[in-house]
Amino acid sequence: MPRYVVERTFPDGLQVPPGEAGVAFCREIAERNSTEEVTWVHSYVAEGGRKSFCIYDAPTPEAIRKTAERNGLPVDRITEVRVLDPYFYAGETRAA
Amino acid sequence: MHHGMVRGEAGETISASGKATELLERAGALGSLAQELEAVLRSRRGRVVLLGGEAGVGKTALLRRFRDDLERDTTERAARVLWGACAPLFTPRPLGPLLAVAERLGGELAEVVGSDALPHEVAAAYAAELRSRTPTVFVLEDVHWADEATLDVLRLLSRRVDTVPALVVASFRDDELERDHPLRRVLGELATSDAASRLKLGRLSPAAVAELAAPYDVDADELYETTGGNPFFVVEALAAGDDEIPDTVRDAVLSRAARLGAPATRLLEAVAICPSGAELWLLEALAGDAVERLDDCLASGMLDVEATDVAFRHELARLAVEEAIGPRRRVALHRKALAALTAPALGAPDPARLAHHAEAAGDGTAVLRFAREAGDRAAARGAHREAAAQYARALRFGTCLTTAERADLLERRSQSAYLTDQSDEAIAALEDAVALRQELHDTLAEGDNLRRLGEILWCPGRTREARRRACEAVDLLETLPPGRELAIAYGALAARYAAADRCEEALAWGAQALRLAERLGDVELRVRSLATLGACELDDGGFSKLERSIELARSTGLDAEAARSFVILAGAAVERRLHDQAERYLTEGLAWSSERGLELFRLYLLAYRGRSWLDQGRWTDAADAASAVLRLRRTSATPGIVALTTLGLVRARRGDPGRHELLDEAWLLAEPTGELARLGPVAAARAEAAWLDGDFEGVATATESALALAVQRRSARRVVELVAWRRRAGIETPLPDWADAEPWAACPYEEAIALADGDAEAPLRRALDELQRVGAQPATTIVARRLRELGARGVPRGPRRRTRENPFGLTSRQLEVLALLADGRRNAEIADRLVLSERTVDHHVGAILRKLEARTRGEASATAIRLGLVGQDG
Repeated sequence: MPRYVVERTFPDGLQVPPGEAGVAFCREIAERNSTEEVTWVHSYVAEGGRKSFCIYDAPTPEAIRKTAERNGLPVDRITEVRVLDPYFYAGETRAA
Repeated sequence: MHHGMVRGEAGETISASGKATELLERAGALGSLAQELEAVLRSRRGRVVLLGGEAGVGKTALLRRFRDDLERDTTERAARVLWGACAPLFTPRPLGPLLAVAERLGGELAEVVGSDALPHEVAAAYAAELRSRTPTVFVLEDVHWADEATLDVLRLLSRRVDTVPALVVASFRDDELERDHPLRRVLGELATSDAASRLKLGRLSPAAVAELAAPYDVDADELYETTGGNPFFVVEALAAGDDEIPDTVRDAVLSRAARLGAPATRLLEAVAICPSGAELWLLEALAGDAVERLDDCLASGMLDVEATDVAFRHELARLAVEEAIGPRRRVALHRKALAALTAPALGAPDPARLAHHAEAAGDGTAVLRFAREAGDRAAARGAHREAAAQYARALRFGTCLTTAERADLLERRSQSAYLTDQSDEAIAALEDAVALRQELHDTLAEGDNLRRLGEILWCPGRTREARRRACEAVDLLETLPPGRELAIAYGALAARYAAADRCEEALAWGAQALRLAERLGDVELRVRSLATLGACELDDGGFSKLERSIELARSTGLDAEAARSFVILAGAAVERRLHDQAERYLTEGLAWSSERGLELFRLYLLAYRGRSWLDQGRWTDAADAASAVLRLRRTSATPGIVALTTLGLVRARRGDPGRHELLDEAWLLAEPTGELARLGPVAAARAEAAWLDGDFEGVATATESALALAVQRRSARRVVELVAWRRRAGIETPLPDWADAEPWAACPYEEAIALADGDAEAPLRRALDELQRVGAQPATTIVARRLRELGARGVPRGPRRRTRENPFGLTSRQLEVLALLADGRRNAEIADRLVLSERTVDHHVGAILRKLEARTRGEASATAIRLGLVGQDG
């Protein structure tokens, strides 16, 4: 399944509630994602929660937008990405 | 091993007294079914449940338990249960399960369904039956094996399920659906329906397997390891009664069968060669005295009686037994079945069943006779996919056919394959038929076949060959006295030129067709020539000609002709952005073609609908429709081109990845056709995507060849459209002086882009607002940059602050209801407060729970409060 980086802007900052509520918040997002076969891998948050870079596995960009809509999350940009592992090349050189 | 317990099916433990105790790990699924039924009983509006799971996971066991529980309910509100099962036949009998249910019920339903009715008539009859009594649980098992007509009925019934008090449950193997499985179409359509839900059965956990294994002397871990927790395998392995756990399902089944003794095995084999079950009289004919062992087989749980038919409890067991029958014995059994079913004890012989046994018995003459008959019957019911398969089966055994009979079968097969978008098969069959007709010196049929070949070759985009064949047909038929075949061939040639925007030639041949048609005075010819001429002069009264051709075709039973005219009309209306008109043609055309199994035309209409939604700014719907077409398409080029272009444009306008891949594929399909109607829209879309990327060279490359073709064909509108993109990219392109046509109406997005062509601040700002509103990120950025370059102030840099006014797609009314619900109010109170009927509030609450994916009101209010959908003060 392709991997995507989803950039989001939260003008008031993203607030994940602490404790149980936070667990439930994330679990509900994950459950709603699963109906579209979308997996939220993890996110990088910047600028005090106003900006986030979220890593997703999803069948299509449309699936990401649909689940974003359902979860009430904004989408600025979706980019398809591949993993580049710097240490992989180091391993190759040693092997050679 | 001790045998204090008798094993039932798929994880069910049955105590020695025969009373079912518990179905392991299915309480959740049973609860969901009960809840769905409860919702139907409460609201009097029907629902559909799609029950998926792998083979042997216990779908049937679950549904039977659900039924048994219902049958224990003797109160007034108890639901009745109707039960139809699809059979694993290579070419299933059209409407098989629905016929069986109707026969059992009798009355008007049986009359309608038994009378060669079309799917929409059957669906209507079922809806009437479901409405007449209340309430009903209607189970359709194993719909992955269903024939096309049954699937059509399921789809049609589901579409209006909220008007009948019924819970429709369709079960299917979700691990066996290949990409173009016809069931996918139904699932896809139902996925968007509020009245449908999916239920998936998983395998058993190690704990459940251990519980099942407990009374036996087996290693539960090993049992779990070998069976993977598949309930059917677990039960068979335990019932096999060996000291060791069998390695495969097959070993388990066979050793269980062997324990019943030789006569019982003979009976099992007789049942195994009848995939849809066998009547008792048939079993007597097949197995003789061994029928006396039926009780043993039933008691052991291997066989089961449903109505009057004996069948295996599980298809996996039937397969295992069938595969183990020696080849000679198998042929002998099928031969006996064939003889017995030719003169059945009850009712008329069923050609599809006979064809099945004839093929397995290797009886070529019988295959020919029955497969052809079954094919004709399937085609008459709109089950063209099954028809094509039956004709193919007949042809495989066609060594003793005369040349003329063979040609006739090939022609029938070709037509059925064509109507289900299997162009390759249709073309191959027809090419063979042409050669045979030539051999027979049957010039009339040869010419008519060449004409049809021209029509079919066009579908996968082989336009040059298509035109050549159409010309050959005319040439050949002109050597004969002028007749209806020649008139049709003139029209077909006109249609080829019309599709290529070669209007003069199209009109000339169309006029020829009309003259001859009028002389011959034949209705089909009138229908065809009206459609042909309409397609040639779409901007000049063509719409009304096409509408008349549809009316005439509908009243005279020319189903495919009507569907074809719907396609031309819808395509033209969508292109001209006549949204209301387009919607009418699309809705009527889709109903018409899906009710009659005309898959090919349905695919075109679905693709056009997606494009129309894109033009109306409904991007999400457009992307859904286009994706559905891309999943379903087989060989025809146009639906693929339209859908790829639509989805590519949605992505381009949103700035999403994968846009260029889609548009490039569209171009790859369109280019070989050499037709402007195919190339023009793809070229414009690729130019737009390149422009949004700031790739001006890409705009030039994308438009070059299509523009040259548009100039050559003198298509003012396409020239204007392509020149506009080039100018936006700063490429000086003169507009020919004849290209002064009024452009087709633009959609809001395109209007905004056009507004931004100038340098004045006010229109640029309006464009910016509109583009931001629809979420057109890349175009917004371009227009904002232009405004800043022109010195405008206060142009936002980042994405606009997004309001969450419509989270989860809740309407404002539903948000009001939700606020009161979260405040702990009951529906009656909410109804009072909002001045609504309680029923309406019920309906809103149901929709809210679905949209929030909450199981209870409590969950919904918790979600609402947590995500700030409602104020804390209620």
